[in-house]
Amino acid sequence: MDFDFSDEQKMLRDEAHRFLGDVSSFASIRRHLETGSAFDRGLWARLGEMGWLGVAVAEEQGGLGFGPLELCVLNEELGRCLAPVPFFSTVCIAAEILKGCTGAAAARLLRRIVGGQAVVTLASAERSDWNFDIATRFAGGKVSGSKTLVADLPGADALIVTALDADKEPLLLLVDALANGVMRTALQGLDALRPQAHLVLDQVDADVLARGDEARQLLARVHEQAAIFAAFEQIGGAQGALDMIAAYGQQRYAFGRPIAGNQAVKHKLADMLVKIELARSNAYYGAWSLEAGPAERPVAAAAARLSAIEAFEFAAEENLHLHGGIGYTWEADCQFYYRRSRLLAVSLGNAAQWSQKLLAGYSRGI
Amino acid sequence: MNVQDTPEEARFRVEVRSWLQATAPEFCKDLPADRSGIEYAARGQDWQRKKAAAGFAAICLPQTLGGRDASPMMEVIFAEEEARYPLPVGPLTSIGVGLAVPTILAHGTPEQIERFVKPTLLGELLWCQLFSEPAAGSDLAGLRARATRDGDDWIISGQKVWNSWAHVAHWGLLVARSDASVPKHKGLSYFLLDMRTPGVEVRPIRQISGESEFNEVFLNDVRIPDCCRIGQVGEGWKVTMTTLMNERVSVGGESGTLPDVRSVLGLLQTLEPELQAVYRMQLARLAAQEQGLKYFRFRLLTQISRGEMLSAVAGMGKLVYANLLQDLSSLALDIAGTAGLYPETASPAMAAELKKFHDGYFWGAALRIAGGADEILRNQIAERALGLPGDIRVDKEVAFSKLPSGR
Repeated sequence: MDFDFSDEQKMLRDEAHRFLGDVSSFASIRRHLETGSAFDRGLWARLGEMGWLGVAVAEEQGGLGFGPLELCVLNEELGRCLAPVPFFSTVCIAAEILKGCTGAAAARLLRRIVGGQAVVTLASAERSDWNFDIATRFAGGKVSGSKTLVADLPGADALIVTALDADKEPLLLLVDALANGVMRTALQGLDALRPQAHLVLDQVDADVLARGDEARQLLARVHEQAAIFAAFEQIGGAQGALDMIAAYGQQRYAFGRPIAGNQAVKHKLADMLVKIELARSNAYYGAWSLEAGPAERPVAAAAARLSAIEAFEFAAEENLHLHGGIGYTWEADCQFYYRRSRLLAVSLGNAAQWSQKLLAGYSRGI
Repeated sequence: MNVQDTPEEARFRVEVRSWLQATAPEFCKDLPADRSGIEYAARGQDWQRKKAAAGFAAICLPQTLGGRDASPMMEVIFAEEEARYPLPVGPLTSIGVGLAVPTILAHGTPEQIERFVKPTLLGELLWCQLFSEPAAGSDLAGLRARATRDGDDWIISGQKVWNSWAHVAHWGLLVARSDASVPKHKGLSYFLLDMRTPGVEVRPIRQISGESEFNEVFLNDVRIPDCCRIGQVGEGWKVTMTTLMNERVSVGGESGTLPDVRSVLGLLQTLEPELQAVYRMQLARLAAQEQGLKYFRFRLLTQISRGEMLSAVAGMGKLVYANLLQDLSSLALDIAGTAGLYPETASPAMAAELKKFHDGYFWGAALRIAGGADEILRNQIAERALGLPGDIRVDKEVAFSKLPSGR
């Protein structure tokens, strides 16, 4: 039994923890929000220099040649520090789609991602997300339609767009975000650190990346993978919230002693840790399934997501609550985890959808 | 990241499997139906003897003591494989092998080790634990059973409770108060009690489930020779902690006799679709916990396999499982409605299924108290894993006899 990350993967996590601790803080997040820019370009460039943008991309395509497990550990650390960079959209989704596509256009864009020259995001949601129940159409080399809630769209250089052709065959298209006919409208949402926008495409030039069953399967696989990466991001966030309240609970005195000495407070912190450890255990299984267990992956992703949603939501809510009144102010940092936990609870499918998937897996006997 | 045995572990598993295949099915053939009686206990001793003869009685102990000097992971592997058969194992023998033996090895004299360790490993001696009292459970160090010195003997009087297998045990692990004039942790002493001593009275406790798996033990001026004291007078708490620390992290696999998510899902599918939908999210939440617990155990096994100390959060396994069992059982009984409360009105197959949920509903309540109540475990996780401040303690510096007792 060796149900753990390798020493090298743990070193990467420790390195990421130290690096992000040096360059990213709640103060830097607040400074970034005041600039109004789509993401922190300085930090993004640093991530490129460290090789993180190509950590799971093959060496012949310019990457570091590692795999999905390295993305898991990086997501945990990015989730903890809430760094305002389009890592999830670009590296965990777009690059993973491009890796599954053949053709020169996909390979070129992948190289640009790895080199830090392109932010890329998937535009798929219309009525619902991650499927081809869509109205966007592709004909004569042009795509038209509209997409909603596209993560990191404001700062994107290229887009991967889901569409149907005249025969209603599913397509994954590549679109230049600066091309004629692309209209982006930023949306004001719950979590400004991960900007979302509305997208309208009007007769925009597009290249086909994948089509038919290949496109369908690729999208489904990347969705499942992304759910597992997101679980690690949520665990990082939950651990960040727990660390925040554990530190505050020992500094803050009431009734003549640290508030964290009271059972009503410390039992909640114990429950946070228990939920995090359960979520972490499921996420480990998810990580294992990324490489070794394609048959187990749907159930592993569902269990990882459900327990990560619960752990992060509980940690974020109780972190704010146990801070007392100060936790409700703009100047306290509790809000950042509170907002992110809600965003991630519904990104990539909410608890109800993952519940159906988990029980369906049990019924199939997995 | 992999979930397979190492080559060495795999070799050991093959060895254990082939020995069990050759031994266990035959042994299980004619086990007594009453799994709490004296005959069943005798078969438990037989099985322990067989294990000892084959070198599996004390896998982690040195060879000089009858063990095989192997790693704790090998012990886990043996237990996993052993659990595939309905063998008479569990607390019946593990209180002796898993608690008494390490305690005596750590604190006993050479004479005591000579007298008790081998006979226990060989299945000759069965043990019970005489720790909890009616007024001392979570606050174990507040126990009141009195130990009074009388020449070369001690005279013990008091009452112990929740003593599994005390009705068949030959010896008991006993902690009692030898000095009430000092603070509570400092006035305890630890003894080995021959359960045949006059004045020892064992009575079964009738539980809320109607069964009687535990006993209470009354100690009426029971004489224990001083040679059966373990550790120094007044240092019984230290010895007690050794025993408690050896209450092993539960590493057993799933039990077929208690409810799990799969069994509740089966029951759910008997409902109309609209009603099913109402329950599904609740059940999925518990399913994610069940899965999480399984893989949490994989992480603990990885630590054991590497020979690492288990982290302080390891104790959460029981906390999660006990609550999960109670939640799953009450959810199942909710799904089953009024009819679920009366298994005899159902078909035989459904009745057996319902009986399982009844058992889980009661046993979940018991498990949330036994071996560290939920609140004690949360305190331990908060203080040891998170480093948070301890509780305010009004009893630490005060003589035990001066503490308010509430009645």
